[in-house]
Amino acid sequence: MVFTSHIFVFYFLPLVILAYYAVPWKRNLLLLFASYVFYGWWDPRFVVLMFLATLANYICGGIIARSRPGSGRRRAALVAAITISLGMLGFFKYFVFLQHNLNALVVWFGGTPFPVLQVILPIGISFFIFQSLSYSIDVYRGESPPVRSFADFACFVALFPQLIAGPIVRYNTIAGQLVEREHSLDKFACGTALFILGFAKKILLANAMGAVADPVFGAESRTCLDAWFGLCAYAFQIYFDFSGYSDMAIGLGRMFGFEFLRNFDSPYLADSITDFWRRWHISLSTFLRDYLYIPLGGNRKGPRRTYANLTIVMLLGGLWHGASWVFVIWGAYHGFLLAFERWRGKESLYARLPRQVRVAITFVLVLFSWVLFRSPTLAEAGAYFQSLFALTRADGGSVLLAGELYTRGNMALMALCALVAFQRVQAFDWVQRMSWPRLLLVLALFVFSLLTMFVQACNPFLYFQF
Amino acid sequence: MQYSRPIGIALTVAFLFIVFGMPLSQGVLELARGERPHVLELFLHVPTKANLRQFERELDSAAWAIQRSRPWMQFVQFTVLGHAGRDTLYGRNGWFFFRPGVQYLVEPLPAPGQDTDPLAAILAFKAELDARGIVLVVVPAPGKPSIYPEQLTRRALDHTEPMNPHTLTLLTRLRDAGVDVVDLSALFYGSERPGLYLAQDSHWSPEGMDYAAETVARHLFERGLVKPGGTEYSERPAPVERLGDLIRMMQSPPVERLFAPERVDSRQVVEADSGTLYEDDPASEVLVLGDSFLRIYQLDEPGAAGFTAHLARRLGRPVASVINDGGASTLVRQELARNPELLANKRVVVWEFVERDIRFGTEGWQIVPLPPAS
Repeated sequence: MVFTSHIFVFYFLPLVILAYYAVPWKRNLLLLFASYVFYGWWDPRFVVLMFLATLANYICGGIIARSRPGSGRRRAALVAAITISLGMLGFFKYFVFLQHNLNALVVWFGGTPFPVLQVILPIGISFFIFQSLSYSIDVYRGESPPVRSFADFACFVALFPQLIAGPIVRYNTIAGQLVEREHSLDKFACGTALFILGFAKKILLANAMGAVADPVFGAESRTCLDAWFGLCAYAFQIYFDFSGYSDMAIGLGRMFGFEFLRNFDSPYLADSITDFWRRWHISLSTFLRDYLYIPLGGNRKGPRRTYANLTIVMLLGGLWHGASWVFVIWGAYHGFLLAFERWRGKESLYARLPRQVRVAITFVLVLFSWVLFRSPTLAEAGAYFQSLFALTRADGGSVLLAGELYTRGNMALMALCALVAFQRVQAFDWVQRMSWPRLLLVLALFVFSLLTMFVQACNPFLYFQF
Repeated sequence: MQYSRPIGIALTVAFLFIVFGMPLSQGVLELARGERPHVLELFLHVPTKANLRQFERELDSAAWAIQRSRPWMQFVQFTVLGHAGRDTLYGRNGWFFFRPGVQYLVEPLPAPGQDTDPLAAILAFKAELDARGIVLVVVPAPGKPSIYPEQLTRRALDHTEPMNPHTLTLLTRLRDAGVDVVDLSALFYGSERPGLYLAQDSHWSPEGMDYAAETVARHLFERGLVKPGGTEYSERPAPVERLGDLIRMMQSPPVERLFAPERVDSRQVVEADSGTLYEDDPASEVLVLGDSFLRIYQLDEPGAAGFTAHLARRLGRPVASVINDGGASTLVRQELARNPELLANKRVVVWEFVERDIRFGTEGWQIVPLPPAS
């Protein structure tokens, strides 16, 4: 189910709110049921997969909790949890990619490619696998107590507000809330406001920018101007899409008493790539830091190992986003820039320039990475880079792109997006204080976004594919 | 969090009022109409992926709030932002364009696969017709943005290259494979004749349509495929005023009210001696297959003023036709396969399809075997 859909806003959400507040007991069980309905709405069969991932980590976490620290049984249970979780992720997300690459090798050696077994990618699998795995690891490290019941744990894994596209909620940040959490009018109202702002970001800004970016990336060729215009549109689309989802998730969480951590902090105001990764998809960066970078040795084993660790983490982070070489290169690009800045003492090459210039350069560096992120293949990414640097010209009907792009509506919306994205105060901060004028603005935005949703085609969130 | 109690209450109540109010009012409305609330449909079917999608679509289309607000939101988006909806692009000087037509010109053609390769489908069809001694003449109709790109964007004013290289490539490949082709796009693009397409519509104007009919008729004569017939037709002015399909696609009466209907000076074809309106003759030697470019003026208002009527006038003989809106790539041949008697006595099949169907043809480009000739 998609948050920005009629069925969610007008049927699923009110029913769950009603049931949740009408029945003050077994609330986690209720949320678990609602979350399975929410997830199963896309394809009921994959609820079974989520249940199995949950069960495996629950059992392994239990064995870990009951075993002595340092015992073989404890280690074996952790290895089992990691193997099962990553095995599922590997099969559903990377098996087709692996087959294609093996086929390419076979063809390269003059063989005949074998038929590729197609596997459907369950939406949000990367998120719920990471979350369920975080439980086993946290319990193994002694950072969290074992969960009190299976229903609580399954509720944590499946919790519908952040199930599909994050923020990634780690078990140790939510364990206490699963047992006891505060419900208050303030919290509910604040959650409502954040949900509405996220909803508006997705409907009014992200979808509008997607309508600009899609034809540019889909074009056979494009002018330099079109390429930059389309790329900026994509940068705004992905930010408002993903941060809008996170805002909605955090807002919904608050409606049900949960507090999730902030996931975005004005990322386009970053003045270096290191700074960017402190502000973009914070829950993923911290997850990778705590569960991959630090176990690899972090920065404790000398500079060279630190650079290598950063690159490995970003490569795997890239691969986490999608089973494709473009994501690997995207990760490598960020890994290289992070390692380079680390080599310079966490300073960018342009650290001595005025802040506005640093922000602009960082934004352009991030834009280049979005070319890789958005292009389906490396060849198409290469062609797009050629357009950006005016190394190709728009041929044939590609001239007509201008008619689609430079409408007064698109120009106005692009300006609005830039204005909002480059603000220091984002929705997460803005809803902390509420006045009557703000309240009226929030409600007007909600009504206007709903009316706009009615004329839009279904626009799933970009991060659903991850 | 700093929320005063009244603000917290007001926000919560307003939000709940909206999210609960909409489904409740929908249910009440449906009950008042004596209908079962649509939401209950969910429990009447097995919750498979397909059934859930279907339920969601029907819930959307049944919602009064959506039905009532959509035309007005479309109006706001059009007047404020210049956005003309999912299928329409608003160009310059009051011209509208069909978005897939532009998309066809802008995007690369995907690699042809099974059932999506026009060349393979056309060659297979030609082979079937060859076996029956029938000549195939292929006539791709250029899309409006290929001929009037400058009405979509000023940038096209300085552009001299053709907008539709994919169409031209297909035509070259067809010619190389021995298929008889009429290239209307080269003719239209360089034409001095004004107004070959309608500003508000995705189709050609009566002038453009007649120019196409004249060109095809001349081609058939020059190739010796058809001899001038003995039926004399004349034309009768039949002007109509119509709102173009591109404006109607927005499904917004308030937007429609912004535009005056476009005057279309169509001309009906009548038999010169009796004055009766032109009618197809299924027994004709010429069969014309095509899409809405054949339907316009012929099957809709004013009638008997479309491509087939004017082709018949030029040929001096009636023609037979199979017309399917948007279905010229495959559906017309499927209809022919179901009714093979339409091919009896035929010498020529003229196959028109709009160029965007090279990529977006309904049901792709399936190879449709015809029943063996009796």
